Amino acid sequence: MRIRNIFVLLLAGAFVLSTRGESVTGTISITKKLTKRNVTPDVSVYQRGMAVELGKDPKEDPLAFERSRVVLYLEGPGPAGSEPAPQIAQLDRRFVPDLVVIPVGSTVSFPNMDPIFHNVFSLSKAKTFDLGSYDKGESKHIVFSKPGIVEVYCHLHPNMAATIMVTPNRWYARVGASGQYRIDDVPPGTYTLVAWHKSAGFFRRTIVVGPGHDAVANFVIPITEGSDQTAPDAGGQAQ
Amino acid sequence: MMTRLRTRAFLICFVPFAVLLASSFWMIQRYMEAAVGSGVRLSLRENQYSIAQIHARTDLENNRFLKVAGENSALKAGIELLRSAPASDGARRTVEDQLRELGEHMGFDFLLISAPNGRPLAAVIRNAAESGQGGSQLEPFNVASVKGMGAGLAQFGGRTLQVASVPIDQDDENLGSLAVGEFFGFSEFTTPAVLLHNGQVIESNLNGVPFSELNAAFAACNDQSECDLHLHGANWISLPVQSYGGGYLLRSLENVDRATAPIASRLHRLFLGLAAIAVLLALVCSLLASRTIVKPIAAVVSHLRNAAHTGVLPEFAGRPSSIFEIRQLEEIYNRAAVSVKVAGENLESAYLEFIGSLANALDARDRYTSGHSLRVSRLSKAVAAALNLDADDQERIRVGALLHDIGKIGIADSVLQKDGRLTDEEFEIVKQHPVIGRRILEGVRGLSAFIPAVELHHENWDGSGYPRGQKGRETPIDARIVHVSDAYDAMTTDRSYRKGMTHARALEILREYAGTQFDPEIVAVFVNLPREVLTKQAGEKEAPRIAPQPAMAVAG
Repeated sequence: MRIRNIFVLLLAGAFVLSTRGESVTGTISITKKLTKRNVTPDVSVYQRGMAVELGKDPKEDPLAFERSRVVLYLEGPGPAGSEPAPQIAQLDRRFVPDLVVIPVGSTVSFPNMDPIFHNVFSLSKAKTFDLGSYDKGESKHIVFSKPGIVEVYCHLHPNMAATIMVTPNRWYARVGASGQYRIDDVPPGTYTLVAWHKSAGFFRRTIVVGPGHDAVANFVIPITEGSDQTAPDAGGQAQ
Repeated sequence: MMTRLRTRAFLICFVPFAVLLASSFWMIQRYMEAAVGSGVRLSLRENQYSIAQIHARTDLENNRFLKVAGENSALKAGIELLRSAPASDGARRTVEDQLRELGEHMGFDFLLISAPNGRPLAAVIRNAAESGQGGSQLEPFNVASVKGMGAGLAQFGGRTLQVASVPIDQDDENLGSLAVGEFFGFSEFTTPAVLLHNGQVIESNLNGVPFSELNAAFAACNDQSECDLHLHGANWISLPVQSYGGGYLLRSLENVDRATAPIASRLHRLFLGLAAIAVLLALVCSLLASRTIVKPIAAVVSHLRNAAHTGVLPEFAGRPSSIFEIRQLEEIYNRAAVSVKVAGENLESAYLEFIGSLANALDARDRYTSGHSLRVSRLSKAVAAALNLDADDQERIRVGALLHDIGKIGIADSVLQKDGRLTDEEFEIVKQHPVIGRRILEGVRGLSAFIPAVELHHENWDGSGYPRGQKGRETPIDARIVHVSDAYDAMTTDRSYRKGMTHARALEILREYAGTQFDPEIVAVFVNLPREVLTKQAGEKEAPRIAPQPAMAVAG
């Protein structure tokens, strides 16, 4: 962990030196469980007439999972980027992974790894498509040329769902397990920072990235009543 | 077969009564049982019909539930996929997987997708018996073996499934149909039930009853109708609950015997008790009746048996019977007894007269002995009277004395009427006469009482007499008396070779020989007899009276 942190810092340092850009960093705190995890039950657990409870893994920290599902990005035009070979596989009647973040213009492939047919389609405004049903081993791909949120489903298995977040530029980040995020190589200026969680929604905050110093923005999700975070812009100032 | 009158009378009274009572009670009981049985049957039938109605309502609800399952869009997508790629294993697997998931969620044991033309496309079936422990899984099922599938029952792999079907439509287009099934079970039946297919039992919740036995019992049942059948030694009623089509029929069963058993046993006990009381009454009445009939007859019989035992035929004495027939019987018997007695007496007296006349004839052979038998008889009777013997003895002695020389019939006149002394040989011949006399009397029944007087009247007191040489009181008193009387008369009677002695001289001689020839007691009595008795002549006497006096019993 420590070595990894040092390595990240060294990398960041090298990046800062080479691009003259600053970073946007902060901590995401999630106060309660937000996502209802939907998993197809194993058939062997089925017992007629008995309710089955799923997604109860006591070893997993549910809030860490929630944090990992938060995406941050800066609105507005920016430099294009590319995620190396993003893909959403169909495995064990689930989309794996079920959350993918890509900059606009990226191509996502959908390989079917199950021995049964799957279908991939979306009715989202950002991208409406239907790849049809295809068998094991086949893979189809699609280019996302508009930013936005694309919900992906399977006609054959209604409980399968995945989300693709298409960001307008390459300034986006996902939250690490401990809650930290970092968007590098942001030129000085005033931006709107967006934090998004599928269940909690969008949280916007105006940040100012000054020359020579990073902007820091912390979020508490969801917004609690009476908190100063009701005005997202207020707390976004650099410290 | 010989039976007692009492037994016969009892049986004739009792058996018809008992049979009549028992059979009428039995019939009443059967009738009551039948009445109770039909009542129970009615209530059973109502129960069965209400069960059938509940069953039908459940089916209706199941159908609504199934319609929702038919609107499953994922399944529709699967079917479309399957139609677009009919040869693809993956597509079939996909639909099977969908069916499996659907089945597990909804709790079916069998799911099948068919094309609109009825061709089966994909199916899953539960692999293990419904043990309820989660071990069972839905597995792909080879649809090639499935023919058409509608609603109703079907058999797969030796198990019976209850199947319902729903069409799957996309907009106005029919994509096919979904058939779902559950293993047929009797869990919803609290009563015994069987499932028949074309008249053959294929499922049953009657534990321990083999299907062959059920088949045999149901062979008599007509489809769709109420039916009585005999199973395991009991009467059952069976009603059709539901017909599934295709020859499948569900029938409920109810044990009528068990339902009626409490009432039947109560009735049984009641009637058994009544019958027992009735039979007991009949028994008592029959016993009394037979006793009444038999008692007078038994009295007659015992009287007759007594008569047969003693040889006497006493007449019925006392109050005559109140029963007409019995009284007649007694009277007839009395008349017969009297006539038998009279006939016996006549016969006896005829014999005596005959023998008496023989004695007279004997006396008449010799003028010297004329009247001898009569005189000895009279003297002997006088002695017996003097000895205070009773009347029967006196009479026996009198007649015995009269006959005492009867044996002389067998002695030749030449010896008997010889003048002068007899030779030793001639005397030996004369000495035979007591034995001959005994032989004569022996042959005649009723005269045996006189034998001692005839045979032994020459025995002496000291044992020197003949024929036996008996001593003293060995010789019966009859013979001893006759001996003295005979000697006295012989001494006082004139003979051809000498004149008779005087009475005094004769008595003297008797005294002299008392204790040697004669019994001293009798001699003592004899010599004291009145003189007129001793001297009375036979010729002046009354005619010999031989016929027995009325008081004398006819000895057997």
